[in-house]
Amino acid sequence: MSDYILGIKELDNAIGGIKKGSNIMLIGPPMSGKEVILYYIMYQGVKNDNAIITVTTRESATHILEWFKEHELDMPLSRVGMVDCVTKTFVGTVVESENIKIASSPVDLTGIGVKISQFLEEYFMKKNIRKVQLHINSLSTILMYSNIQTVFRFLHVFTGRIKAMGAMGIYVIESGMHDEQAIATLKQLLDGVIEIKSEDDKNFIRIVGLSTKPTPWFEYEIEGANVRIVGRK
Amino acid sequence: MIKTGIPKLDEFLDGGIPKGKSLVYYMQPGVEGEVFGMQTIYSALKDGGNCVLVASSTIPDITRGQFKEFGWDINQFNNKFISVDAYNPLIGAPSKEKYIVSNPDNIEEFSRIIVDIIKQLPPSTIVFGSLSTIMDLCGERKVIEAVRIWNKMAMLYDHVMVYNFTAWPYSQETLDLMKGELFNAVISIGGIVERVIFGQYFEILKSDWTKEIKRSMLFRVLRPGGIKLYIPKILVTGPFDSGKSTFVHALSTRAISVDRLGTTIALDHGHVDYKGFSADIFGTPGQERFDPIIRLLSGESMGVFLVIDSTNPSDFTRAKQMLKITMSYGLPYVIIANKQDLDGALTPEEVREQFDLPEDVPIIPAVAKDKIGVYEAFEVLIDSVTGGI
Ligand SMILES: Nc1nc2c(ncn2[C@@H]2O[C@H](COP(=O)(O)OP(=O)(O)OP(=O)(O)O)[C@@H](O)[C@H]2O)c(=O)[nH]1
Ligand SMILES: [Mg+2]
Repeated sequence: MSDYILGIKELDNAIGGIKKGSNIMLIGPPMSGKEVILYYIMYQGVKNDNAIITVTTRESATHILEWFKEHELDMPLSRVGMVDCVTKTFVGTVVESENIKIASSPVDLTGIGVKISQFLEEYFMKKNIRKVQLHINSLSTILMYSNIQTVFRFLHVFTGRIKAMGAMGIYVIESGMHDEQAIATLKQLLDGVIEIKSEDDKNFIRIVGLSTKPTPWFEYEIEGANVRIVGRK
Repeated sequence: MIKTGIPKLDEFLDGGIPKGKSLVYYMQPGVEGEVFGMQTIYSALKDGGNCVLVASSTIPDITRGQFKEFGWDINQFNNKFISVDAYNPLIGAPSKEKYIVSNPDNIEEFSRIIVDIIKQLPPSTIVFGSLSTIMDLCGERKVIEAVRIWNKMAMLYDHVMVYNFTAWPYSQETLDLMKGELFNAVISIGGIVERVIFGQYFEILKSDWTKEIKRSMLFRVLRPGGIKLYIPKILVTGPFDSGKSTFVHALSTRAISVDRLGTTIALDHGHVDYKGFSADIFGTPGQERFDPIIRLLSGESMGVFLVIDSTNPSDFTRAKQMLKITMSYGLPYVIIANKQDLDGALTPEEVREQFDLPEDVPIIPAVAKDKIGVYEAFEVLIDSVTGGI
C-alpha cells in the first residue's frame, strides 16, 4: 500500500503511489494549469484525512480558500494550514487565524520556517495526524528575492524534516524562469519531479524519479477543479 | 548595562548586557526566535535607552506591527527608536526611513551605514533583525569580517550590539565562528526535535562577562506577552509495582502520590530542579485499566521514563505495550532497569535483548529506593530532549 497519492488515478497507478518522506518538485510553464493540479493534490490529501500545509507566495491564503469554496470543495480548517507571504500586516491589521499564518515577506525565510514548524507541531503532536503534506507555491517567487544557495539551505532543512516525519513535500517551480544549474541544484534534495509541458495547445504531465523509469507523458485537461487524463503520448 | 528583558536571562547574565558588548541569539531554523531581539529592544527603550533596528527581511512598518502584537507600544519612544531599512530597496520599493541601505547585497555600503550610525548616535542598543538574511545576500565571509569591525567599533563607542541569527546549514566554519569567538555572548535558541519541533528552549552557550553558567529554560511565545518561561512535564510509566512511585519520590525535591493499599490509583506528582533544569514529573498508575491516563499525560509531556522491575521479565510484554502508547506521541524515552539490588535482576544488556531494543535506546540501571541511577537517568533524558542543536 502506498502512503500518499496524487489522486490522479493514471499517474498514481503508473508510479504505484508515493512513499512517505518523499520530496517532489512540481515544474511547469505558466498557464499550464499547474496551480489547479496543486490544488487538486491538496484536496485529494484532505479527502484522505491528511493534514495540509501550503506556503503561498503568489496569492493570498484567503483567495485560495475562496477558490476551494467556489468549487464546493470542503477544506476543514482544523487540518488545512496556510502560510501566507503575500498579505501584509501593518499595525492594527492582524488577520492571522486558526489556519492562516502570515509571514512578513518572501525574503523572510526564517519567519516562513517558523510558521511551517508551528503547523507541523500542531498537526503531528497535538492532533496526532501522521500524514502531512507540505506544499510550497512557489519556490520561483522565493528565488526572485533570495539566491540559490539561500533557497538550497532552506529547502535542505525542510526536506530533512519531511523525511524524518514521513510526510510528503511538493515544491512548485515555474519552468523557463531559472537556469538549468539552479534547478539541478535543488533537484539534489528531492526524490522526484512532476513535469508539466504544453505543446500545440495541449498539456502533458509525467513523473520522473518516483518509479524505476519515468512514466509516459499523459495528456490532461482541466475542468473546473478537476484534472482529467484524456490520453497518452 | 541594558536588560535583555527575557525572563531569567538577565539574571543568568548578571544583570544584562554591559555597554560595548555584543550578543547573538543563535536560532535553530523553525524555532520562533526573532522575538528575542524584539523583546530586548522593547526592554532597552523602556529603560530610557536609544535603539536602532536593522530591518533586512521585512518592511520596518511590519516589524512595528509585530511589536504591537506582543503588546509593546513602541510609538511612545518615537524619538529614541530608529529603523535602518535594508529591505525596501531589495524589492524595489520606496522607503521613508532616515537610514536606508540602497544596495543591501553590497556589504561595503551596508558597513558604511552601520559604522556611521555607530559613530554618530549616542550609546545605543543596535539590533539586527536578521543577520542571516544579510549573510545570504552578501556572503558568509564578508559578513563575518563586517561583524568583527562593527563589534570592535561598538566597543569603542559604548554601544550594545544584538544580532538575531538563524543557523541555516551554512559552512561549519561559519557556524563555529557564530557560536564561538565572534561575539561576547551566545544564546542558543533551540527546539526539542523529535520528528517535529514541539518545545522551545534557550541556553547560554557563552558569556565572557559572567562566571561559567550552563542553564537552559523552556519558553513559549505569547501574543501579547512575548517570551514566557514554562515548566515541562515528564512522564514516568511502567508495569504494576515496578517502582514508579518510588522513582518519582527519589528524583523529586517534593512529591505527592495518590495511592490506595500501596498501588497508585491516580498519579504521582513531583517537581525536580537539577543542574539548571526544572521539570514537573508525573507518575502513572501501572494497571491496564488506567491506560487512558497515560494517553492523557503523554499528549502534554516532553519525555518519558519507562520503569521496569529487572527481576520480573514476565511483565516486559506489558512494559512494551505501555512504551508503544507513549511512543505513538513521538516522545523521547529512557528505560529504567529498576531493582538492581535484588538477586536475579537482569543487566541492562539482558533487558535490551529481551525487549529487542535498538542500541541507541538508553537503559539505565537503578535502585530507585536508594536513589541510585535516578539523577543519571534524568540527565540522559534531558540530553536527548534538548540535543537538537
Ligand atoms: N528492592 C527494591 N525494591 C524497590 C525498588 N524500587 C521500588 N521498590 C519496591 O517496589 C514496590 C513497588 O514500588 P512502587 O514505587 O509503589 O511501584 P509502582 O510502580 O508505583 O506501583 P503501582 O503504582 O502499583 O503500579 C515497593 O515495595 C517498593 O519499596 C528498588 O530499587 N529495589
Ligand atoms: Mg505507584
